[in-house]
Amino acid sequence: MGVLDKLRLDGKIAVVTGAGRGLGRAMSLALADAGADLVATARTASQIEETAQLVREKGRECLTVTCDVTDSSSVQAMVEATLAEYGRIDILVNNAGGVTPGFANKLPDIDDRMWRTGIDTNLTGAVYCCRAVIPHMVERGSGKVINVTSGFGLRAGRDNFMYTSAKAGLINFTRSLTMTYAPVVQANLIAPGLFPHDDPAMAEWWKQGKFTPMGRLGKDEELGPLCVFLASDLTSYMNGQIIVLDGGGLAGGHAPTGFAPVVPLEGV
Amino acid sequence: MQEEFSLRDRNALVIGAANSLGRAAAVALAEAGANVGVSTTIRSRAEEVAANSCANEVWALDRKGFAQAIDAADEADVDALVARAVSEFGRLDILVNAHDLPFARPLVEISAQEWRRAIDVNLTAVFLASRAAGRHMLERAQTGARPGGSGRIINVASVLGERGMANGAAYCAAQAGVINMTRALALEWARAGITVNCIGAGWTEGMGIIGGEEGRRQLERYLPYKRLAKPEEITGVAVYLASDAAEYLTGQVIWVEGGALSHV
Repeated sequence: MGVLDKLRLDGKIAVVTGAGRGLGRAMSLALADAGADLVATARTASQIEETAQLVREKGRECLTVTCDVTDSSSVQAMVEATLAEYGRIDILVNNAGGVTPGFANKLPDIDDRMWRTGIDTNLTGAVYCCRAVIPHMVERGSGKVINVTSGFGLRAGRDNFMYTSAKAGLINFTRSLTMTYAPVVQANLIAPGLFPHDDPAMAEWWKQGKFTPMGRLGKDEELGPLCVFLASDLTSYMNGQIIVLDGGGLAGGHAPTGFAPVVPLEGV
Repeated sequence: MQEEFSLRDRNALVIGAANSLGRAAAVALAEAGANVGVSTTIRSRAEEVAANSCANEVWALDRKGFAQAIDAADEADVDALVARAVSEFGRLDILVNAHDLPFARPLVEISAQEWRRAIDVNLTAVFLASRAAGRHMLERAQTGARPGGSGRIINVASVLGERGMANGAAYCAAQAGVINMTRALALEWARAGITVNCIGAGWTEGMGIIGGEEGRRQLERYLPYKRLAKPEEITGVAVYLASDAAEYLTGQVIWVEGGALSHV
């Protein structure tokens, strides 16, 4: 089999959380392009219906299930609905997450509830999904888990406590999945850089990415092929790893002086 | 979706095609559509035979290719190799630095000459090849980028660039050097549309294992996969990194090591 054929996902069932917009939608569409049938989940029914429509236009099936990943009974019900429809889950993409109340608060101003919501949204939700899905993968003898972390899971931010802690936690949770379930289950992470999701205000906030070495922000559709790559047979020996897609940001830091200063070497 | 990963009409050069990862990378790139020239890491009859055999696999896939014997630490050899790739293909899009010269000895027994040779072939050789290919790619970047950017540089480093190993000081230092050179060069050439990444390879079939059979058994017990990687399981990453799909990915080490680095 040629190397490009290994990127096909025909006959696979992929569950994507947070599939209603942004990266979740882009990854869902890429998985469908590669031949997978989808289960699109998120809290907002109308958004996952839109994603499902786009998937179906590609000739793939798409089940929509509303689900709040921070509620374990909701996750359990989503997984049961999926298994009732398809009988299997080959690929789980834990993409749900994002900014929660008190996101940029000073530490003394983060109340208990804010803290728990932040951790639940960006870490516990993925844990609940893995807990519900991985036993089925183990039973069937294979499975791919793709967790979406962030550059903030690898580096810190000022007045950024809940999000950085949760995303860092997700990284080491994933490595422990590897230690426990490899090689049957492959668990890897995607760390997107600055992706404004077609939001002009966000793009402006990030100054259009001019401090990123590549000089631009990420496009949602650039995440799709990476997701397919990690879900495919091409990466069967890759496990517990993070792929950072960020235009060079983390290689040197998103700083005004982050790239290409020329300093002459004296005395040569 | 496969179109985004296709390397049709791209031209690649793989240095170090006599070792198992270099060979597999060359074949994977050719399978994905690229023309591939290959070279040895050092001048030896065994390496030359292996590089020729790799070129045969490229031709068997109906791609253009060639094999050349070089010493990868020799400036003139490397410049001539890159010039040949440019002249035979008309353009060089992808450089894979798969040089590998395993070396292990207690530090107090390493001569200065041995140390320099280990660093030269494992690290300086990557600089030489990147410089030669980079000059060509940067020049092309100024005359208008093509789809997928102006160039792709893919280094192959070892888990020993991230973890230490007793008796491996020279090799570990060189591999770590390749990893951080990858990051620095990625920043330097980001605006020219040249991505620079590194494949972090785990313990692989066909590569030298320190400690012989007993060392290998120990290693297999330790690895979450309970086995070494097959070269083809690692080099698929080269196809992804070389493709249009990875245009925004630069300065990264992509580890394929069967969970070895997740281990305490």
